[in-house]
Amino acid sequence: MKIAVLSGKGGTGKTTVTSNFAVNIKNSLSLDSDVEEPNLHIFMDMKNSASEPVHTLYPSIDKELCNLCGKCGDFCNYNAIIPAKNQVIIFSESCHDCGGCKLVCPNGAITYKKREIGKIFKGRSKYNTELHYGLLNIGEMSGVKIIDQLKKYSNLDEKTIFIDSPPGTSCATVAAVEDVDYAIIVSEPTPFGVSDMKMVVEMLREMKTPFGLIINKAGLGDGEIYNYCEDENIEILGEIPFDKKIAELYADGKIFSDTLPEYQNFFSDIYKKIVEGRRSL
Amino acid sequence: MKISICSKKEGLDSLVDERFGRAENFTIIDMDTMVIETIKNSAKNEASGAGGEAVKLISKYNVDTAVVPHLGPKAEKAMEAFEIKTVSQEDYKTVGEILEAYKSGKLKEIIKKKGLTRL
Repeated sequence: MKIAVLSGKGGTGKTTVTSNFAVNIKNSLSLDSDVEEPNLHIFMDMKNSASEPVHTLYPSIDKELCNLCGKCGDFCNYNAIIPAKNQVIIFSESCHDCGGCKLVCPNGAITYKKREIGKIFKGRSKYNTELHYGLLNIGEMSGVKIIDQLKKYSNLDEKTIFIDSPPGTSCATVAAVEDVDYAIIVSEPTPFGVSDMKMVVEMLREMKTPFGLIINKAGLGDGEIYNYCEDENIEILGEIPFDKKIAELYADGKIFSDTLPEYQNFFSDIYKKIVEGRRSL
Repeated sequence: MKISICSKKEGLDSLVDERFGRAENFTIIDMDTMVIETIKNSAKNEASGAGGEAVKLISKYNVDTAVVPHLGPKAEKAMEAFEIKTVSQEDYKTVGEILEAYKSGKLKEIIKKKGLTRL
């Protein structure tokens, strides 16, 4: 079973929630798919990680075969390949590796080369759980390939997989949420949290992904989030209070339910609720 | 011999556009016949690589020299590949001012910088 944790707004507690699930659900695997700024491995205190590169492809032109017909350039949506006067220029970092230029080339002049865009790290946490995360190289445009690869490696039906997702609702978030069985939105009850959460709700409904909400820092802000959930019929799975003890543990890089055992059932109960909800479908 | 100028609107009174790849229009002037033509920049709303695509566009109109603001690294590389000379539009405000400055040789050719580009 794959569960994505996402929020829209940054800093609402995705990683806090993911790490607390990871340590309380036996045999779970957690993935940090926020490849632009992964930090789950810091909270989970990852040891002895092994890394492997993630590659993307970009076109290369055989000048003998190319007659500068221009079809590849007309096809490319990202202007990564532009036939010019006596040469074809290629902006490899703009290429989305769709393979289209090779298909439209009538002269078979295009082949692909690979280049590294980031890495995947795999290891175990201090809490003896399995943890993988991706890291996108600085300056790269898209982490989608790394996220897809992270999820492909982890395609184990018997395991419970928690996916810490990137903020926002862009391609990277869609890639993180694609094919999951359930999504947990983590929001804070502030106007900013609610505003960004609405976009996530719209995205999840479009993707037909079942979801529920955990309200973090409950007690802050206003009541809008409760009204919104009632109007939209969104299930509130639980609330984590705005509590100085929790904030201090977070600031120390600790997982709060590990230190505050009264919260262990909070996470395992939500998990049970999700599993039972899935069974009753 | 044709030059192109990044322009907001049409005609000699139009303000220049301070961007190249995402400029509103290109005003193309044939310096031999003084025929002036303004074209919409179809590359303006490209997801990425507007600069390169805009160079391709002006090349179709047989532009020999492009008068430009600061150029990004992709546009710079494309200008070279399409064999279009680039001169700086300096701080001139209108298409007409640029044309006069160009005629009197006041616009300097942009020499390709050697430095940090990641192409």
